[in-house]
Amino acid sequence: MDNLREIISYLAGKKVRFADAREHLFREREITTEDTRVEQITEQNVSGVGIKALWENGWGYASTSRTDPAALRKTADKALALAKSADKSAAGAVELAGEPRHTAKFSTTIKEDPFDVKVSDAVGVLLQAGETILKGKDVIKAGSYLVFRNMKKKYANTEGSVIETDVFTVLPQIEATARAGGEVKTRHYWPAPMNAGYEYFRGIDFKTNAERIAAQAREHCFARSCETGTATLILDPEHLSLTMHESVGHPTELDRVLGYEESCAGRSFATMEKLNNFKYGSEIVNFIADNTLEGGLASCGYDDEGVECRKWHMIKNGILTGYGVNRELAHRMKMERANGTTRAAKYCDVPITRIPNLYLAPGAKPLSVEELIADTDDGIYIEGMGSFSIDQMRLNMQFGGDAFWEIKKGKLTGMLKNVVYNAISYEFWRSCDAIADERSFKRAGFITCGKGDPMQLAQMTHGASPARFRKIMVRRAK
Amino acid sequence: MKRPDLIIEKILKKPVTDHVVVCYGKSETHHIRFSNNSVNRENLFKLEEEVKVEVGYDGRIGSYRTNDLSEDGVTHAVKKAYEAAKLLPKDPEYMPPVTNEEAQAIKHFKPAFGELSDGKKYGILRDAFRELKKAGLNSAGSLSTNPYTVEVYNNKGVRVSHNNCYSTFALTAMTGNSSFKDFHVSKDFSDYDGEAFLANIIGNARLSADPASLEAGKYTVVLGPPAVEELLMMFLWHNMDAKAIDEGRTAFSKRPGERIADEAIHIYSKPDHEKVSLSPFSPEDAMPYIGFDMIRNGKLARPWHSRFYAAKKGVQATGKFPANVIFKGTDKPAGKLVSNVENGLYVNSFWYIRLVDLMDGIFTGMTRDGVFRIKDGKLAGSVNNFRFNQSVFDLFHNTAEIGKEKEMIYTSIPPITVRDFNFVSKTEF
Repeated sequence: MDNLREIISYLAGKKVRFADAREHLFREREITTEDTRVEQITEQNVSGVGIKALWENGWGYASTSRTDPAALRKTADKALALAKSADKSAAGAVELAGEPRHTAKFSTTIKEDPFDVKVSDAVGVLLQAGETILKGKDVIKAGSYLVFRNMKKKYANTEGSVIETDVFTVLPQIEATARAGGEVKTRHYWPAPMNAGYEYFRGIDFKTNAERIAAQAREHCFARSCETGTATLILDPEHLSLTMHESVGHPTELDRVLGYEESCAGRSFATMEKLNNFKYGSEIVNFIADNTLEGGLASCGYDDEGVECRKWHMIKNGILTGYGVNRELAHRMKMERANGTTRAAKYCDVPITRIPNLYLAPGAKPLSVEELIADTDDGIYIEGMGSFSIDQMRLNMQFGGDAFWEIKKGKLTGMLKNVVYNAISYEFWRSCDAIADERSFKRAGFITCGKGDPMQLAQMTHGASPARFRKIMVRRAK
Repeated sequence: MKRPDLIIEKILKKPVTDHVVVCYGKSETHHIRFSNNSVNRENLFKLEEEVKVEVGYDGRIGSYRTNDLSEDGVTHAVKKAYEAAKLLPKDPEYMPPVTNEEAQAIKHFKPAFGELSDGKKYGILRDAFRELKKAGLNSAGSLSTNPYTVEVYNNKGVRVSHNNCYSTFALTAMTGNSSFKDFHVSKDFSDYDGEAFLANIIGNARLSADPASLEAGKYTVVLGPPAVEELLMMFLWHNMDAKAIDEGRTAFSKRPGERIADEAIHIYSKPDHEKVSLSPFSPEDAMPYIGFDMIRNGKLARPWHSRFYAAKKGVQATGKFPANVIFKGTDKPAGKLVSNVENGLYVNSFWYIRLVDLMDGIFTGMTRDGVFRIKDGKLAGSVNNFRFNQSVFDLFHNTAEIGKEKEMIYTSIPPITVRDFNFVSKTEF
């Protein structure tokens, strides 16, 4: 930490308005299997320091993989030079929201460090799952993907904050592909990715789920096509994680709202004049952002601006009530503090506003998923994530799924295929008329959310209980 | 600190096994992002240097990446890769390191590029901000220069390296209710004509203002090069792996020998194309990229073969991914294609393309940053954006006219005119 303090002191001496320095030590083990062979196994250990400087109203950012004092000074000088160049084109004044000075540490609670476990242990589990999948009738391919991550960070800024974080992440998944009846269908099992240790991976039941997805991949091949028209949908938590990510998570990033992402990830229909008055969903729709969630993928204690992670309502009783806000834009919201959701993927990346851990609150009334289905006369039950696409203002969205079942008179009556649904995002959430209670709440999430330019990949948890949506336009995909 | 090449050579003098490959990569990116007619905080410089070590042991491969380029760091990477390899089961698709004999087929080329000063870069941006402000438009985008080096070393004596650079200026110009985007890809901006570039963007951005409402349906469309690139690359990515085709897992699996495209469509790879080839060999193992036809005379000419699968099938490897993708164009500018359409749409680019049905090559996505009505061979104002659900095979069959190629980072792609392009819904802007 002394090297960071020293370089911050050096930049303070250069009269910068603000500066911070972030050291990353990133370890990752990534395993991909195909059938019963290891397709690829890569381990990486990448470290470096990123330095950000604000000169008048211009920002500069420079990074280095070397941490000796001379390299850090050179990098700091480069950041400052870039900031001075940028200041010449500044269109407005930069105002940074205040944040208390933190001297703090945060770490994921783990029992077993994944990097202390021999790689053959996880490989054995994945290849065993592959063997099980390949025993399935008409199965032509088994696959798996497993990621263990550890990100250690140190952070210091000119306001005196000194923070250390140590975050572990586990993401497992397996898949089965069947070919039958002239169709090829793939079914996945995605246990929720978590900030956790190896003990989480050990606790996953791959065998039962390998058998299940192998059978369902084949069943999907023989399913009948859905009809085109409006339908009632019941969406499972895994599926909802993707719809909320695209249609609530991204539109409520304030930097996107204000045009900072226009050239790549796009903008947002959820503009600031809609705050506290726009009906984003039905009254039972509540979205909670929570970067303090235990085991959440975005739970890191303090973000990459040195802001303490927080919890807030993004949508309350159907009304838009919040955004993800960084220190630079908080004043536009008349917020005294940012809400701790600004992150960088690597040491060489500039921290930007990212989707927080975001979940749909369970229904307040007692309602199991079985009761929800029993209460539905005619509809489609969708599990998992499939085709997904949304326009750059986050309005017109189209989603498929991983598996589809027809609901008739309150019962699942068989699988469907070729289902995609299309909606305008806020109309979709307004059509939500029932959410199962907390008994069926499940987490899901992503580690490859793309945003920024250069592109950065971020991770965050989502969650939901199964929910029902009325009068949604469903199309037969072919 | 010792130079990385000296450290790597020292390690390869006494390789831990008969299979050690060290890939070195270095890039120096200066990336200036802007929004609202001003440079924003993604104004960054990064110098990234890494090695990836691959160690084979008795038919198994372990690998390890690090940016600790000290002798201890690289030695540690070798040790970790070796330890991992020893713990894995034998790989039935194991391939030994590339030999010098194989590497001799590399078609080396030396792209010319110079260093672009910070003054010139910020100058390009200041000009753009000034002209767009003057035109009453807002702007967003990025300007970046990316010189890089890739080197591959192995214990069989292979030593290959390549220096290259790509620079991009991507500019979106916005009215209050519409946008138009264009970009200039270059080695070093020595070929950048700012006046013409900005005039084209400003003209099209103005034309995009106040989009009229138009219902979805099947339209004759002229697709700009970025739109064609985005859809084509997604299609190739999902469908061209030879092993997957043979195993019945791509759209080509159920179309063996079939006519899949109009005869005029010619898609190929040319590894020594100086403008759109990023390297003449695979940075993973030094395997030479080869020139080959992918789609020609209306049929799949040949898919992509990994080194293992090529050896199994007794054909030349193309690499898991080719050196580049070129859609052969003509000498017709996009305006000529527009002039041949009586009633249709011009689509500048697509956004968020995803697979809908693998086996029939159906994709969905949105139009973005410029959708114009074509009436009597002329652009006649803009319309709202659409979602499409489109079979790429249908697009190949319905391609009526092909224009002049535009060179991008990894591709060279023309605009094309397509009949009956399938828009299924519209959005609110």
